[in-house]
Amino acid sequence: MNNGIYGIEIAWLDAVIRLHIIVGLMTVVVMGLIYVERKVLARFQQRLGPTRTGPAGLLQSVADGLKLVGKEDLRPRNADPWTFELAPYMVFIPVFLGFVIVPFAFGMQVRILELGLIYFVATSSLGIIGWVMAGWGSDNRYAMIGGMRAAAQGISYELPLVLSLISVAMVSQSFNLNDIVLSQSTYPNLLWQPLVLVIFIIAGLAELNRTPFDIPVGESEVVGGPFVEYSGIRWSFFFLAEYAALFIMGLIFAAVFMGGWAWPLGEELGRGWQILLVTVKTSLFIFLIFWIRASVPRLRIDQLMAFSWKILLPLTFVQVLINGAVLVYDAPLWILTITGLVGIVVLVRLIERAVRPSPAVNSEFVSVGNEGAS
Amino acid sequence: MVIESAPDFETQDLLINVGPQHPSTHGVFRMILEVDGEIVKDLIPHIGYLHRGAEKLCENNDFRQGVGYMDRTEYLASHNAELSYVMAVEALAELEVPERAQWIRMILCELNRLSSHFMFLGAFGVDVGVFGTPFIYAWREREALIDLFEEISGDRMMYAYFRAGGLAWEVPGNFEERVREVLVSTRQGMKDFDNLLTRNEIFLARTKNVGIISAEDAIELGMSGPTLRASGVPLDIRKSEPYMYYDQIDFEVPIGTNGDVFDRYLVRLKEMEQSVSIIEQCLERLNDGPIMPERMPRMLRLPEGQEVYIRTEAPRGEYGIYLVSKGGNKPWRLKVRSACLSNLQALRKMSVGQYVADAIIILGSIDIVLSEVDR
Amino acid sequence: MRGIVKSLATTMSTFIRGPVTRGYPSKHRELPERDRAFPLLLWDKDIDEPFCTGCHACERACPVECMTVIMKDNPNHESQDGTSKRRKIVDEFWIDYGRCMRCNICVEVCNFEAIAMNNTWSGHETSVYDRADLVMDLPQLMAQSKSDEIQEWVAD
Repeated sequence: MNNGIYGIEIAWLDAVIRLHIIVGLMTVVVMGLIYVERKVLARFQQRLGPTRTGPAGLLQSVADGLKLVGKEDLRPRNADPWTFELAPYMVFIPVFLGFVIVPFAFGMQVRILELGLIYFVATSSLGIIGWVMAGWGSDNRYAMIGGMRAAAQGISYELPLVLSLISVAMVSQSFNLNDIVLSQSTYPNLLWQPLVLVIFIIAGLAELNRTPFDIPVGESEVVGGPFVEYSGIRWSFFFLAEYAALFIMGLIFAAVFMGGWAWPLGEELGRGWQILLVTVKTSLFIFLIFWIRASVPRLRIDQLMAFSWKILLPLTFVQVLINGAVLVYDAPLWILTITGLVGIVVLVRLIERAVRPSPAVNSEFVSVGNEGAS
Repeated sequence: MVIESAPDFETQDLLINVGPQHPSTHGVFRMILEVDGEIVKDLIPHIGYLHRGAEKLCENNDFRQGVGYMDRTEYLASHNAELSYVMAVEALAELEVPERAQWIRMILCELNRLSSHFMFLGAFGVDVGVFGTPFIYAWREREALIDLFEEISGDRMMYAYFRAGGLAWEVPGNFEERVREVLVSTRQGMKDFDNLLTRNEIFLARTKNVGIISAEDAIELGMSGPTLRASGVPLDIRKSEPYMYYDQIDFEVPIGTNGDVFDRYLVRLKEMEQSVSIIEQCLERLNDGPIMPERMPRMLRLPEGQEVYIRTEAPRGEYGIYLVSKGGNKPWRLKVRSACLSNLQALRKMSVGQYVADAIIILGSIDIVLSEVDR
Repeated sequence: MRGIVKSLATTMSTFIRGPVTRGYPSKHRELPERDRAFPLLLWDKDIDEPFCTGCHACERACPVECMTVIMKDNPNHESQDGTSKRRKIVDEFWIDYGRCMRCNICVEVCNFEAIAMNNTWSGHETSVYDRADLVMDLPQLMAQSKSDEIQEWVAD
């Protein structure tokens, strides 16, 4: 099942080497992502982004890293030592753990696990504990409020995320990520599950604490977020974890929804084409996330929770039921496509109803013409 | 079931200090929020961080030197601030402003209204949570407007261009083409904002039914300008007491219905469209002529013991100047009736009972400029 | 959802439009003729002396009192076999750029058109490390006009 890398057959050595490759790749990619985000956001806003540090600003992340390393390592006097110190690691490590199952190409992953998708969901939930630890350990009431909010948001959106992944697993008949990718050699899963695609993107945004769900980190409008007491390299752990999570979410998206390295012609054309496919699909997802960040305002915490529990979750349940019905009775899969598209229309309608009264701008507005003085 | 028998929880309200420096770029303003969970119970604003004694300084400056100080009391809409001041001086000195100067003044005041409302849209977008896109759009449009102002008066923000009696100097020869050019890009900018924010569901969810103030409360608190009109009160000084040549121009005044944050935003957006139409009409009526009356004394001296109160429709509301003269070239007392200070009184009423996250948006929607609040 | 899609479309259209950044300080845009930076004194090239006679008109008119002027008898006057018609000439002149509010009143009241606002980039790039360096004396004020780098604009 798992071929040794470079032909090494010793299991633990093989795993150690793969992990090292993953760690190296992750660090470089995350720093690159920070730079790419700044450039892409700048381009959306018709400005330039970093241009001075290094050629075309490429060394900006390095400069940021150097600055953060040079900062004083502050610690509040009454901060709980264990929770405060361990919180950054609790946020960062689960993301790394998620990389174990991600398939980059045929035979290029750390381990193929039979329950790969469940494993991914389990490890991504652990990060929430880190946020709560950061909030509570800081001995700062605003940090605690921020941490609680982050936890509430994370838990609320965990359910639609998990259920959407389960729906896709139902269609692909496996939790093993490699099998899911292989089952999409002819048709990617997003054809069969369009509604689930949308729900996955929305829930993924919330899990990543990204706009429009970035109340915990955008909390600095009024009060500091849960990281208000962290400085320097400790703070950068949270920051890097966010981008690493973004990267891994993109990889999972590519593998689960768009056919990973197998679609359109992955198996025939070899490793280079496969890696290119995965890169392009992940970049699409990441670009979409940046695009949404540049365009959309932020939701308030109560609206956020209501959206998840009242709108997303019921729709996901219905989708799982329909999946089940179609698969048990061996109906053709295009029924799923149709129900999925109907589901998207229902989602759109529900959102519009939630922001009622709808903005029929002209009818709500009265203009005083030239009738003169009021 | 269990809750009734539990003892009363000893809860304490949190005091949150939204300090003089905060990320929403409204200036140095401090407010203390007393918060119970998420709901704001009380709001105490602290102002005065930008007080520079402009009114007192103007007592030692004659009527040409004072224009520079009036600029700085409302730096985003300087032409409107200068306008009230020179109109007050002209009223007391009984000067007749030539027609061409009036038309040019109108055009410049409306252009300034555009640039001030763009600034509002930019800052408001940032308050609502869009990362920076509305801000940059606003600055892109303001850049075009400010470049135009620089070609006319020489300065990008503190123009000191109006004088008692007319204008300081003649506008450049290509004034009309430049204004039309700027209007083209302004229209594009307004359309960008409209597409970006007005129908965005998340924006609507954040701003609808938030920070409502009824028309009666608004009138009682002395509000004016777009914040008053958003509550449904059809009061615009350009229509009710027309000054300059506003009675010869055809324009509409948008009125809101709910008095919430969304209405304040939309009233300003629609006002900008009306301003563009006003500018175009003024450009058509612009004729040649002098820009200062023929007999202008070298040093303007006002008769003794006169007082006047002149109000104009600045982008933020009713900007009034109360001038008392003591017979000389310096005023005895100059009082600025600031629109933002009166509008700010409503902040507490609008915010109590709302979420904390909404308090920032409500503050942004009143569109304050601290230099006018504090002078 | 449709509104959000519209917002996304708007940002994509600005993405395609490209940056509007001007690239200062690598590129300096052309300043308009009337641009008003800080005041400078003008040098009369025909007779090789300043236009300014030290008459104190601008000093009195300044709202922030940022100027100090001292005049002296002109050694170059015709009565002493000189070439100039100016009886008095400026001896010392200080302008505190830190107080100046660039209102242009000094230019308006000057009877000799001896003072003008700097409308080149050097007028805008006057940052110093010590506030006392912002008080400009006579040689500094006349340097740009002497070396012919100024293109002043004085309103009629």
